Amino acid sequence: MKGTITAIQRMSIHDGPGIRSTLFLKGCNLHCAWCHNPETWSSSPQIQYISSKCICCGSCIAVCREQALSFGHKVVIDRERCTYCGKCIDACTTNAMMWIGREIDSKEAIDKLLLDRCFYKNSGGGITLSGGEPLLQAEFSREVLLGCMNEGIHTAIETNLTTPWNIIQSLLPLVCLWMCDLKIANSEKHRYWTGIGNKRIIENLKRLATEGSNIIVRTPIIPGVNDTEKDVDALCKIIAELEGNVAYELLGFHALGFEKFENLGMINPMKGKTSLNPEILSHLKQIPNRFGIKQKL
Amino acid sequence: MKNYDERIARLRARKLEQTQEKIEVEGTLDEDDYGRIVPPKGLWHIHPNNPDGSFYGYDAWAENFCSLMNIHPVYIDPDDAFAGRWMYFMSKMRPNKWNPDYPYDHLKANINKYDIICGIGDDAHFAPDYEMGLRLGWGGLISRIQHWKKINNTPEQQHFYNLHIQAIQAIQGWISRHVEEARNRAKICDDLDIRTRLTELADVNERIINNPPETLREACQWIIWYHLASRTYNRDGAGGQIDSLLRPFYEKDKAAGIIDDETTIYYLACFLINDPVYWQLGGPDKFGNDQTSQISFLILEAADRINTSLNITVRVHEGLDPKLLHKSVEYLVKNKNGWPRFSGDKALVEGFMRNGFSAELARQRIAVGCNWMSLPGLEYTMNDLVKVNMARVFEVAYYETIATGNPSTKRLWEHFARHLKIAVHTAAEGIRHHLKYQKYNEPELLLNLLSHGPFEKGTDVSSGGAEYYNLAIDGAGLAIAADSFSALEQRIEHEKRLTWEQITEALQNDFTGTEGEKIRQLLRNSERYGSENSIGEQWALRIRDEFVTLVRQESEPKLDRCFIPGFFSWANTIGFGRSVGATPDGRHAGTPISHGANPSPGFVTDGASLSLATAIARIQPGYGNTAPMQWELDPTFAQEENVALIESIIKTHFEMGGTLINVNIMDKQKVLEAHKDPSKYPDLVVRVTGFTAYFAMLSPEFRQLVVDRILEN
Repeated sequence: MKGTITAIQRMSIHDGPGIRSTLFLKGCNLHCAWCHNPETWSSSPQIQYISSKCICCGSCIAVCREQALSFGHKVVIDRERCTYCGKCIDACTTNAMMWIGREIDSKEAIDKLLLDRCFYKNSGGGITLSGGEPLLQAEFSREVLLGCMNEGIHTAIETNLTTPWNIIQSLLPLVCLWMCDLKIANSEKHRYWTGIGNKRIIENLKRLATEGSNIIVRTPIIPGVNDTEKDVDALCKIIAELEGNVAYELLGFHALGFEKFENLGMINPMKGKTSLNPEILSHLKQIPNRFGIKQKL
Repeated sequence: MKNYDERIARLRARKLEQTQEKIEVEGTLDEDDYGRIVPPKGLWHIHPNNPDGSFYGYDAWAENFCSLMNIHPVYIDPDDAFAGRWMYFMSKMRPNKWNPDYPYDHLKANINKYDIICGIGDDAHFAPDYEMGLRLGWGGLISRIQHWKKINNTPEQQHFYNLHIQAIQAIQGWISRHVEEARNRAKICDDLDIRTRLTELADVNERIINNPPETLREACQWIIWYHLASRTYNRDGAGGQIDSLLRPFYEKDKAAGIIDDETTIYYLACFLINDPVYWQLGGPDKFGNDQTSQISFLILEAADRINTSLNITVRVHEGLDPKLLHKSVEYLVKNKNGWPRFSGDKALVEGFMRNGFSAELARQRIAVGCNWMSLPGLEYTMNDLVKVNMARVFEVAYYETIATGNPSTKRLWEHFARHLKIAVHTAAEGIRHHLKYQKYNEPELLLNLLSHGPFEKGTDVSSGGAEYYNLAIDGAGLAIAADSFSALEQRIEHEKRLTWEQITEALQNDFTGTEGEKIRQLLRNSERYGSENSIGEQWALRIRDEFVTLVRQESEPKLDRCFIPGFFSWANTIGFGRSVGATPDGRHAGTPISHGANPSPGFVTDGASLSLATAIARIQPGYGNTAPMQWELDPTFAQEENVALIESIIKTHFEMGGTLINVNIMDKQKVLEAHKDPSKYPDLVVRVTGFTAYFAMLSPEFRQLVVDRILEN
């Protein structure tokens, strides 16, 4: 079975325990304004242009039949005209123009993920499916998870839990650790900032916890969105009611990755927003303790 | 009054002043710190015995060494538990390093053609047996020489023994002058505390002028005298298994109530600041039992207190006390000063055994030099002295392929393999020439003292005196050659995006102009060595196999000479690069070649640490010499919370076959600022290759190399 991914990131140390390789699947049904992986929103391949790599040789402009490329400060892409034929990418010698997103067979993905199995073993690590939303490609995810689990590799998945429960349920035996985002407690506010309400997310989270899964719930703290005590209090109330082995992590918003919006010709909804003040984060991190919620599994 | 921390702080400050003085008086140096200090101007000059202004042979070396010892300035610092510093680079003070009576003109054409560092006339780079020195003391060593003098009684041998006795006596004289000076200073000192310290220093040194050391402090001081003398003689900096060497003294003193751990740490800090000698900690004894003990931890703690340029290696093996590895990685991350390094016992032992040696012997071959292992007191190795610039070999082969017409990577490989064979043979012939005549050039008067064989056989260690001759030839520029092959195969033969004519023209013009840069980028972005299962990796493995076979073929079992391959470039990356034009991997003419077995910087886009660890584990030459992993560790990852993860990478690299890891953790901003104005960061230490150095002491060109390495990673 084939899936569409953006990258396999080796030596991930923030996507579960130990040293891991993270498979980023392309396509997401949430469009969180603060997302630092906007290349995973669309499920289709996109053209990325990194101007710092460009030597302005004009090779790409010369091969573009649609006249979608021209010289400006460096090369300017008229994405309305672009037909995504990929000729500019073939002509580029510096990798300034690149496809983002490619199809990969689950077997190939598994082989690549297993490359670092020795490092997983010694570090207590494994593999993580992330995205995008990996459960939008549930069958592909299932094959990858099964292939890795059969090799004795620890598996984790980062999901927004917006998919129907039966999909999640079918993956229960294949996932050692669920890393689930719960961004905002209020459903309408959640819809405003991500495009979807949180009702099903919370329902799925409760069912997942009841099933006895290992869960880390994560909330990115975004300045002006959910960075008040009241916001975190409301989230903690939901999480405190979850049964089973659940930990809760608060993550500080950072502006890293914002250049990706520009490279992909996308509009950055949070352009100009600066990283979260670490003092605010450490203050908010005290709140889960009041609810008796653990911060590590 | 103990006030050890204050004393250590003053010693550290003094060390920085001395380093600064060296830079001001002598200029920059792209080498180890060595612990040497600036000598007084005009006090001593070499005594030439040859019209070329240099000195050669037993008599001249003995005369020069003894005359220097006789006047060598005394160095006493009341803050220091030990006396002595070295000042003179005797071997470097000669205008020529090889005796012109033994020319090697027949090798020079190929040495130049392939840019070989041939090692002829180079010295040391094997390990003394400190255990013997500590057991016998200077007096015992003289007795040992006298014993063998009675047995081997040709006139030449008698003279050989006499010169070694003279050398020891000169060292004893040097120590005696320190005793005298310490007593004199104590007499006129009003401060009771300092007077006591000076008197103790005199007592310690007086006891070991002739007798073997009995206490930890005496043992450390004895080792210091030996290495100061040996450094002075020919820069030898080989260390030993320091925890096991000092353990009996420490345990005895501790049991007798002579010392506590704070005092021990102070002694060890003074010991370590004296000279960044290559010491090994942990690892198996010859029976496979871990050698970690309490003093292993105290040595690390002392290193942390002094935190200067240090070359401590932790030997990682299955039975290593996990606390020692953990502690050492904690210090690595905490101080970010490039120490300690780590060596991998499994591949080293298994590799050395492939030469036909036992596991017991292989375990004794320990990390005591820049990239190298040695059997203390048992072998002569020429480690880190002989290098073949494979980038240059590639260049010769490339232009020959073009000149002979109808080029292909198949034909290029044939030319490359043929030239590599000539280059390796030339290097081996150089070693043979060296072994034949080195005693007439630069006999190893000091290292003979702590070797098993030279006195028993009555001949120099370089000339049949050693027990084993395991001779090193290292390949350099592996990634340049592999990536060049890969780029040609991919871009010309697979994709047909470029032609041989286009690339040759671009190389000859050093990729100038927009078209040249386009070609360069295309070549640079080819599949590179370091990326798993890439064309570049396939070429690297093929080159490795060829090089290993060629080096092994040079072995001469009848003469008990075993040639062992390794991959290492030391600090020669700049020099080697100067002699090589632009290469098909996209490298500009004259720029540095790749570092040792490391892939060229920027070889993968993510997970570089794991790719590096995997690639270098796979590329090992496999016979007990190293292909070190030079690891530029991202400071944002090298944090306390990631110590366990760093440990896991170290362990995994060694499980996969790695032999040695040199780690650098450098803050990009700090290094950039230090590059602009080195005096702002006098204590910034970088692990340049196998050795650490003060960044401020490196030449601007070498500093640039370090900066480029960080930026590209």
